[in-house]
Amino acid sequence: MSGLIRGNFAFMGKVALLAIVTAMLALLTEHAFVQKEYAIGSFLLFAILALNFTYLTKFSIPLKFFVPGILFFIAFVIAPIIFTLSMSTYHYQTGNILGKGEATQQVVTLGAEPDENGTTFDINVGETPSGDFAILVSDIANNKFFISTKDTRTEVPASGVTLDENGVATAAPGFTLISAEMLSKSDDYSRIHYKYQDKFYIGIEGQNVGAVFQQSLTYDKAAGVIKNVVTGDTYKDNGRGNWAKVGAPDEMLTPGWRAPIWFENYTKLVSDEKVRTPLIKVFIWTVVFAGMSVLTTFALGLLLAMALNRKIRGRRIYRSILILPYAMPSVMSILIWAGMFDTEFGAINNLLHTHIAWFTDANFARGAVLLVNLWLGFPYFYLICSGSLQAIPTELQEAAAIDGANPRQIFRKITLPLLLQILSPLLIASFAFNFNNFNLIYLLTGGGPRETLDGQIAGATDILISYTYQIAFGNNTQDFGLASAISVLIFVLVASISLYGLKKSKVMETFG
Amino acid sequence: MNNWVRENLWRHVLAIAVCLFSLFPLYLVVLSSLSTNGSLHLTSFVPTEFSLKNFRFLFNSPKIPFTHWVQNSLVIASTVAICSVVIGAASAFAFSRLRFKGKKFGIQLLLLVQMFPAILALSAVYVIMERVYRFAPQIGLGSQAGLVLVYLGGSMGVNIWLLKGFVDSIPAELDEAAKIDGASAVQTYWLIFVPLAAPVLAVVSLLSFIGTFNEFILARLFLVQMDGRTVAVGLQQFIGGQYSQNWGPFAAGSILASIPIVVIFLSLQKYIVNGLTAGSVKG
Repeated sequence: MSGLIRGNFAFMGKVALLAIVTAMLALLTEHAFVQKEYAIGSFLLFAILALNFTYLTKFSIPLKFFVPGILFFIAFVIAPIIFTLSMSTYHYQTGNILGKGEATQQVVTLGAEPDENGTTFDINVGETPSGDFAILVSDIANNKFFISTKDTRTEVPASGVTLDENGVATAAPGFTLISAEMLSKSDDYSRIHYKYQDKFYIGIEGQNVGAVFQQSLTYDKAAGVIKNVVTGDTYKDNGRGNWAKVGAPDEMLTPGWRAPIWFENYTKLVSDEKVRTPLIKVFIWTVVFAGMSVLTTFALGLLLAMALNRKIRGRRIYRSILILPYAMPSVMSILIWAGMFDTEFGAINNLLHTHIAWFTDANFARGAVLLVNLWLGFPYFYLICSGSLQAIPTELQEAAAIDGANPRQIFRKITLPLLLQILSPLLIASFAFNFNNFNLIYLLTGGGPRETLDGQIAGATDILISYTYQIAFGNNTQDFGLASAISVLIFVLVASISLYGLKKSKVMETFG
Repeated sequence: MNNWVRENLWRHVLAIAVCLFSLFPLYLVVLSSLSTNGSLHLTSFVPTEFSLKNFRFLFNSPKIPFTHWVQNSLVIASTVAICSVVIGAASAFAFSRLRFKGKKFGIQLLLLVQMFPAILALSAVYVIMERVYRFAPQIGLGSQAGLVLVYLGGSMGVNIWLLKGFVDSIPAELDEAAKIDGASAVQTYWLIFVPLAAPVLAVVSLLSFIGTFNEFILARLFLVQMDGRTVAVGLQQFIGGQYSQNWGPFAAGSILASIPIVVIFLSLQKYIVNGLTAGSVKG
């Protein structure tokens, strides 16, 4: 057995494994640098060096245990945290996603203007014998036909083309039609500038329509401006990630790029009415939701634990049934509950003989959220309270009973305070968990109903985290910058809550 | 008798009432998975029919690649479960048993960072993986391998913390003895610690399995292709709010997807309850 750990065999195995990992990482590093992802590339390089250094030298024994964990930790915990912090200082939203270079390139590509007459042609898309995309253009008015690619334009005599019933050429020598079905797979062909004449080119306007354009925008790298050669306008970097027209700063070219705006996302939280009002409302509901959830689940769990804290008949059966909600995958349970609250067909309305639109009324929706969370969460506190109740020394209760205290007094003055003292870290942890209970809100109500708040992004049951998700990934403008700023805010809140809980649980003291 | 009633009746009444509350949704799902009309109407509490139509639909309908989804979930969750423990156990062992400079700082950092809810960094992870996709599509956004990496990394803090808790509870005498006999740290780890801690490692990896199986939002953002989805995402997208139409197959699917988790959970009950008081919350 020890041969596996020591000796040549183990050494060779180790070196082989290290070599494979190094090779894979090296390949990735190269790709990363080629694609100009310098940060990721540098990290991969660092990973290679760290792994080889640790396992090929005797520099540090503990490091041999830590390195894989640390690398994952840096890549997927530390880096995202730092990245979130940095994103929160950027103007980083739909329309401002790309880097500056890439955005400028796209702006220039898109900067085309139709010619004076707005000339259009009937076209068919196909390819040349060498496999390049080509269009067969039919200038029906002049009875002229030509094949055009990115670089060449070849006239075809009218006698050489096959016409369809509308007089549009569909076939010509040196041109193979591509079927509409094949074309629908990729829109690469539609971005090509097909040659026309002089500075003009033909761009694909729609199915079988091409229009004559000329390049209007040019990027003057030295001056750092974009010029429109047709109208003579100049566009300048407005410092917020867009090229804006000189003299009319609201006229901006799209797309923009992600640009640093420092603390603007944070000041927006306070000063921008449209952000502040929903944020405050969402925050209040988040606290209420988390607080009520802890309170209700704890109360029911404790009640059950006390009821079953003595050997009554069927206790084992009760226990097995009571923890079922906790054993179920919560995603499934939440979806099941969402179905049960359906207005038309849901079992809840069915059972109560009512016709309540649970998820379109703010109060009903909030009630439903709390009820479902009670169902999901009470078994946790039931399990914990049963354990803790047994840990409380019975002497105290007995002494109180001898002194003439009734059961209610014993509970209020002795059992409950002791329990709260033992369980306060867990209650705080549960609060922190519910503070970010994204799955419940997202899967049950989706944050809705939306009418009562700002009607767009924030909904009546949205908690901070689901609100943040809507900002970053919702159907409206996706604003990563603002979302990151709110994420940072939530982290500060949750971390303070959790640290307070840890202080209470005295875990910190163990480590000094 | 009178005394019994006063002492115990309320206990039974309460327990039965809450049991009914617990069972109601589950019973309803079982009922509708076996019914043919496919609605979630509660027509009767007694099963009136017993049909496997919904289950057959799951496995035969071209509309929902249910078997693919289950397979994806199992593969992703098992990979994460095994790898996270292989990587995490080494770190946990080092934190628990080895002496080194910066140990205190390391543990405090771990403690702080494992509290950071992974979901907060969601947009950052998304953007990072989108960039990875540009140079390595196999492990970038949209790939299952990428998702596994994100899970592994994201749960690293919590896992090491959890494992450390368990490792601390394993008596250190044996590995101290090995050390006195001249074993190196690496030898102690492989020859003494791993065999000794195997049951604990198995439990933690099963917990991690449950957690991954249950994860929704990353999987939803990452896996866009129909066939590549996990069972949670697949079923959620399948009903897509249209409960009235797809409820029957959904009920059947959610039962099948839940059974392995419920079985694992119930068989690990003892460990999970111990872990609960140590401050870990099931994901």
